[in-house]
Amino acid sequence: MSAPSTALRTGKDPYHLGHAPSSGTPEFTGHGAGGPAPKPIVVGYGFWLFILSDVVLFASFFAAYAVLVYARAGGPGPRDLFDLRTTEIETACLLLSSFTCGLASMAVGRRSLLWTEIALAVTGLLGATFIGIEIHEFARLVAADDGPSRSAFLTAFFTLVGCHGLHVTCGLLWLATMMAQLRAKGFTPSVRHRYLCYSLFWHALDIVWIGIFSGVYIIGVLMQ
Amino acid sequence: MSSPPETPEHPSPLRISSEEDFDLGSRVGEDRVLGQLPSELSSRTLRAELGGYLIGLALAALLTAAAFLSVGTQAIYAPGIVMAVVVFGLAQVGVHLVFFLHMTTAPDNTNNALALAFGFLIVCVIVFGTIWVMHQMDHNMMPTSSSLTMLH
Amino acid sequence: MTLLGKLSWQALPLNEPLPLFSGVAVFLIVIALIAWLGIKGYLPYLWREWITSVDHKRIGVMYCLLAWVMLLRGFIDAIMMRAQQAVAFRAPGFLPPSHFDQVFSAHGTIMIFFVAMPFVIGLMNLIVPLQLGVRDVAFPTLNSVSFWLTCAGALLVNISLVVGEFSRTGWLPFPPLAELKFSPGVGVDYYCWAIQISGIGTLMTGINFVTTILKLRAPGMHYTRMPMFCWTALASNLLIIAAFPVLTATLAMLLLDRYLGFHFFTNSGGGNSMLFMNLIWAWGHPEVYLLVLPAFGIYSEVVSTFSSKPLFGYRSMVYATMAICLISFMVWLHHFFTMGAGADVNAFFGIMSMIIAVPTGVKIFNWLFTMYGGTVRFASPLLWSLGFIVSFAIGGMTGVMLAIPPADFQLHNSLFLVAHFHNVIIAGVLFGAFAGYTYWFPKAFGFKLDERLGKWAFWLWVIGFWVAWGPGYVVGLEGMTRRLQHYDVAAWHPWLIVAAGGVAIIAAGVAVQIAQLVVSIRTRERRRDITGDPWDGRNLEWATASPPPSFNFAVLPNVTDQEPYWDMKTRARESGHLATPEPHYEPIPMPRNSPTGFVTAFFAVLTGFALIWHIWWIVLIGLTGAYANFVLFAWRDHDEVLIPAGEVARLDRANRAARTAALERATA
Repeated sequence: MSAPSTALRTGKDPYHLGHAPSSGTPEFTGHGAGGPAPKPIVVGYGFWLFILSDVVLFASFFAAYAVLVYARAGGPGPRDLFDLRTTEIETACLLLSSFTCGLASMAVGRRSLLWTEIALAVTGLLGATFIGIEIHEFARLVAADDGPSRSAFLTAFFTLVGCHGLHVTCGLLWLATMMAQLRAKGFTPSVRHRYLCYSLFWHALDIVWIGIFSGVYIIGVLMQ
Repeated sequence: MSSPPETPEHPSPLRISSEEDFDLGSRVGEDRVLGQLPSELSSRTLRAELGGYLIGLALAALLTAAAFLSVGTQAIYAPGIVMAVVVFGLAQVGVHLVFFLHMTTAPDNTNNALALAFGFLIVCVIVFGTIWVMHQMDHNMMPTSSSLTMLH
Repeated sequence: MTLLGKLSWQALPLNEPLPLFSGVAVFLIVIALIAWLGIKGYLPYLWREWITSVDHKRIGVMYCLLAWVMLLRGFIDAIMMRAQQAVAFRAPGFLPPSHFDQVFSAHGTIMIFFVAMPFVIGLMNLIVPLQLGVRDVAFPTLNSVSFWLTCAGALLVNISLVVGEFSRTGWLPFPPLAELKFSPGVGVDYYCWAIQISGIGTLMTGINFVTTILKLRAPGMHYTRMPMFCWTALASNLLIIAAFPVLTATLAMLLLDRYLGFHFFTNSGGGNSMLFMNLIWAWGHPEVYLLVLPAFGIYSEVVSTFSSKPLFGYRSMVYATMAICLISFMVWLHHFFTMGAGADVNAFFGIMSMIIAVPTGVKIFNWLFTMYGGTVRFASPLLWSLGFIVSFAIGGMTGVMLAIPPADFQLHNSLFLVAHFHNVIIAGVLFGAFAGYTYWFPKAFGFKLDERLGKWAFWLWVIGFWVAWGPGYVVGLEGMTRRLQHYDVAAWHPWLIVAAGGVAIIAAGVAVQIAQLVVSIRTRERRRDITGDPWDGRNLEWATASPPPSFNFAVLPNVTDQEPYWDMKTRARESGHLATPEPHYEPIPMPRNSPTGFVTAFFAVLTGFALIWHIWWIVLIGLTGAYANFVLFAWRDHDEVLIPAGEVARLDRANRAARTAALERATA
């Protein structure tokens, strides 16, 4: 390989500004002209596309929420219903779980079963805490007759936040399956690909939650 | 830290090189997967990697706290608080992408960045398009009987 | 809470002759078919080689087969509607309103979701990996799951004919009509669950193909060396990824309204039924571009092959395709100009809708310029393309007329609109599918279709189409609205009789196509494709045998230019021997077949049916079963099967020998 390749490896000239493109085998990445990509890249890219399609799904629910947020049918609004303390705790749980998921990635990279399982277990516990708090919040609202069938605003709120919660629950189920599979099979390539997809999923859920706690809870309370 | 032996496997037809060093970051001339370490971190020191995650956590926590604290605060010009929350949120998304998902602007990440840009465009079209259309609709519609009886 | 939810014997159409007899007839035919297959011993073969196959070529063929079968079902609905409207002038006709409503709803649903989409996806499945010079798509088992989930959706829609009823709201379930208050039956639920299930399959296909096209190409195949069909496949699958989640979300909102009393689109509680229109068309418009773009790709392939010329203006075609992909996301409001968003909004979307005609026009001119100066062979695939160019241009122009908001205020929901979209979908998508079907049939099965019957089919279709839908434009301009079970305007009556005649001509065309298939199979030895290149093709799919071996290429080709296969052939013709020497044969690992797709679909049908009829314990079983099936798949240790080098050598050498013999005959 010629000079540009070492430049890429050390990150000094990633755009080949100082070098003419070499003739023969093309150097540029992302153009796919080097033949079929290796399996990890194919799997990872495909899953990233799935995440983006999921984000579009959330966008649809967000759009519906934005349209219906003032349709209260004479009922309560965000300021009456949302307790931002609860939201803060939920956010802390999810953010920390994203961090521990990153720790688990580090452990997977070093092939340490013990540390991977520990990090994943903590991630799962934090995620379960998040879900527990959210279910409690929903139950409280439903018991006070402010459930999703009360008004369009509450419908949209429960659906958007509930959809996220459903995704987190599926993520926890996936997590449990991953932990079992790691114990059963060890760090085979397909297990590692699957773990990469899982970590992408979990981080994406935290990113969506940023949108929810900012756009629904905080801005809801601010704009009533 | 122990590493259990890996199972041997056939070279996949969809692969042209071995993937043993997958976790070391991208190889030359190839795309990087989102979530995979960039090649600069291929030295793989524990401190470097952990440092990245810790900085990400700290920044995200800071931005989260800022967003929650801005409710009812005097420190930000009141009509601008909503915009501040939006900015904090977008910044935190960026922190997640860079520190947790290792997204960079290097050419080995172009496909991932382009996919993200496409997704972002679609999200904007759907969300802002819907808000615009429905707002105009509402503006042009007669109030329904239920909204007429509402006092606010 | 009974054990079977809302299900009871009353769900069967025991006092409605039409669905009862057709249901019994179909049931008996299916049983007879399975029995015959069993007796002949084909079932193990079918299970091993087709049902559990993860081979993109097999899956592509099965998609096209599904499309053909559902085309017949949807076409019968069309015949019923045209017949009803031909006779129902100041008369009740033979279809009571509740049936008529189900017929037009089923017709649209089936044609869009279970004919057009599978046909287009099937052809992409069959050809894109071959054109890219690779062995399979990125996620072969996921591909199988996608196909079987589409079948699951189709099955649910067909079950509704005999168990319960179908939706009466049209092919899109607009609230408040689709809400529980005004549609208390199971029809809308059948529709929603069938579409949700097949929608998941389609989304997976979108992810699969974008990954394949962007990450899995033969060495040397830069983006600018990809065949046009692959570019249009890329654009179409990007649209799937971007649009289908919106459909999933919107139907989920409707289902939540119906099942849990939510207030997204209800009249009470602050719901907004216009929100449904907005969201569903934000999906609906990209959907139709998703259908037509691969058809455009097929036309590019066919026109260049049968003009013996490279495609004119390749780069402008690529730009036009990606422009259409992007703009198609910004025009959706033209489906509801009359809903009252006001002049500003209408003006924006009207202008965008007109702008999108520009790249389409660029494409049409490029096809014409490709033919100009070429040695044109008027084989039936090219005839379909020419029929498309003429008819689609007219249909597209009526679309631009409808894009003008004041004109649309007159024409919205009239027969003019219905004629327009039948024009662009039939002459655009369906003709393209037929062109692709004829063009690539020899690649899939090893022999060509009978050409004479093919030409007859084309002429019957194109004439029949204009006789059926020309009158649609006329009565639309005369004020006829869509979905009328009866009417009393004398001026419309003769046109509707003509239209019914047109459907009869199309029916003859369909009959000829069925005959073409039967005759072609019977006399296939006469039209064997020995070399794998029956049409003197230009792209890599013609570099393989017909049908290709499971691994497609013994060695992945090295691509150095656009139209790589033409390049190879030119070098071969000049030198007198094959362009590449015999390679060193290696064993090839291929993905292992798996019943995952079929089992997933089984649980999907079970869960869907149980959800429709409120049989909650079966829902639980279905979901658990689907999850267990998925875990089982994820747990397997061996996911590849190694094809021995000897086998690869045998298959490849046979094809090389056939090609060498043909080359010697040609250069002798």
